Amino acid sequence: MKMYWILLSASIRARMQYKINFLLSAVANALIMVTEYILLAAILLRFDDIMGWRIHEIGVLYGISSASVSIYRLLAPEIHNFEKYMIDGEFDSLLIRPVSPLTLLITRNVDFSRLGGLTQGLLILLISCRGLSLDFSSLMLLAFYIPIAILSGCLISFALGLMTATLAFWTQRIKDFQAFTLYAPFNAANYPISIYPGWLKAVFFTVLPVGFMNYLPATYLLGKGGEHIYLWISPVFAVIFFLVSLKFWQFGIRFYHSTGS
Amino acid sequence: MNVIVVKELRKEFKIYKTKKSRFGAVLSLFSREYERKVAVRDLTFQIGEGECVGYLGPNGAGKSTTIKMLSGILHPTSGTITVMGYSPQEERKKLARQFGIVFGQRTQLWWDLPLRDSYDILRQMYKVDQRSYRQFLDRYDHLLGIGEFLETPVRKLSLGQRMRADLAAALIHDPRILFLDEPTIGLDVVAKKRMREILKELNEKQKKTILLTTHDMDDIEYLCDRVMVINHGKMIMDGTLGELQKMIGLPSMIRVKFKDRPRVKPLDLSEKVTVQGDEATILYDRHKTSVPSLLAAVGEWGELLDIQMAEPEMEEIIRRIYQSESDGLLKTV
Repeated sequence: MKMYWILLSASIRARMQYKINFLLSAVANALIMVTEYILLAAILLRFDDIMGWRIHEIGVLYGISSASVSIYRLLAPEIHNFEKYMIDGEFDSLLIRPVSPLTLLITRNVDFSRLGGLTQGLLILLISCRGLSLDFSSLMLLAFYIPIAILSGCLISFALGLMTATLAFWTQRIKDFQAFTLYAPFNAANYPISIYPGWLKAVFFTVLPVGFMNYLPATYLLGKGGEHIYLWISPVFAVIFFLVSLKFWQFGIRFYHSTGS
Repeated sequence: MNVIVVKELRKEFKIYKTKKSRFGAVLSLFSREYERKVAVRDLTFQIGEGECVGYLGPNGAGKSTTIKMLSGILHPTSGTITVMGYSPQEERKKLARQFGIVFGQRTQLWWDLPLRDSYDILRQMYKVDQRSYRQFLDRYDHLLGIGEFLETPVRKLSLGQRMRADLAAALIHDPRILFLDEPTIGLDVVAKKRMREILKELNEKQKKTILLTTHDMDDIEYLCDRVMVINHGKMIMDGTLGELQKMIGLPSMIRVKFKDRPRVKPLDLSEKVTVQGDEATILYDRHKTSVPSLLAAVGEWGELLDIQMAEPEMEEIIRRIYQSESDGLLKTV
């Protein structure tokens, strides 16, 4: 763990060498996500609500999903870019140290541009919470629970990212998979899962379990017929899913076959 | 004492065929179609403490694959490896403290940070105490001259500096074994020479065991008492440089200049004679033919003006090994 901080701080120092690049990409990133939200809001404002979910309620789902993914991409960008480690054989360098390769991998190239997305997610959460018509105690519970939901979301996105990256030990390439395992489910999780057909709902609560991140606890927190127990199920599931992904990663490493010199 | 013991090592790669289509990677996960490629077969050798072994072979022969298995990067398909008493596959992290590794083609340093930061991170990673760390900086400033660019970001170092910096990084935990994968690649003559002298000192004075791959025969001649040659994944020779030379039977050469066109007579002492104008080139086996008797015979062809003698070059020896291996000429190994 100590090694994690040492490596992380080295990575941050390295990034600070390129300050302008950092600022520009953070702003660009935030702009992209703001545009995305304005489009969504424009549609929602026209329809008033989607299957009984009002705009501020959807804002809560959106904010949690967006903040979670941004934190994951901020702190572990190289999992997302894992393909290059397979193609250039760069993964070799991570296997010659008395430290786990995963620690070495996730501390590389911290991606501060994702701060843009994170800020945007948190802002939307703030605006949405103010717009909700909840009584005071429900609102407090929601405010208290949001960090937990974001943390669960981080674990789930990290786990999905890591499992996808692990596939690269067999396939070398993972860009194709990421469309299915990351982009699609996390976009879907911006909306209430109840709007999707049954089979898709099943997918979002099993193999691509993004439903646990925001939708499930929100059904209780926002009074959509959820049970109190859901607040516990989500983080517990996230931790288990995270541990499973670590196991899968450790299994996959054995199949690494490097490249020619 | 043997620090590296390798028995019947074999590595096969399954290369799954990846379709070029849009979702090729997805499809390849379910496809059972693959090619089996044997990178290393039945490799058995030991390396004793303090040896400096040159590991030779053409590109794709299996040199890097071997080193990657020794250092725990790759898992063998079968066979056993012990390095300093550890199994690289079962005890990778423990073993990592026992060796240093340099890939000539790829730096292990933190690219955007001053060199000192890299050493500082590695110091903590290998749990080197402050006193030993200061000794390390002193010693390698002396030997490698790293002191002069310690505060420079790695990306701004010249290739020669970077290679020395990388070598020092591999030595920070004072390992007894060094794996060097083409440590002189791309260096200019001066930097190459300096690198060689440093490696010589590491081997002779500090008693480091070194396993070195290179394409540069001068490296081998200068540094290694022992060479192992591998081709198509198979060890085709393991011995001293002299033995290598003998095994190939590469002829020595005499070039003789005559006053007039020589009257060449058949010569059963030599392997081959070629005449060009007033110059004759005679190839012979140094182990079978004595030079004076050869010269006496050649002296009868005409009036001698000049005699040049040359020993076979290392490059030529290696070229012959690779060639004879592929032609199936080399039978007894």
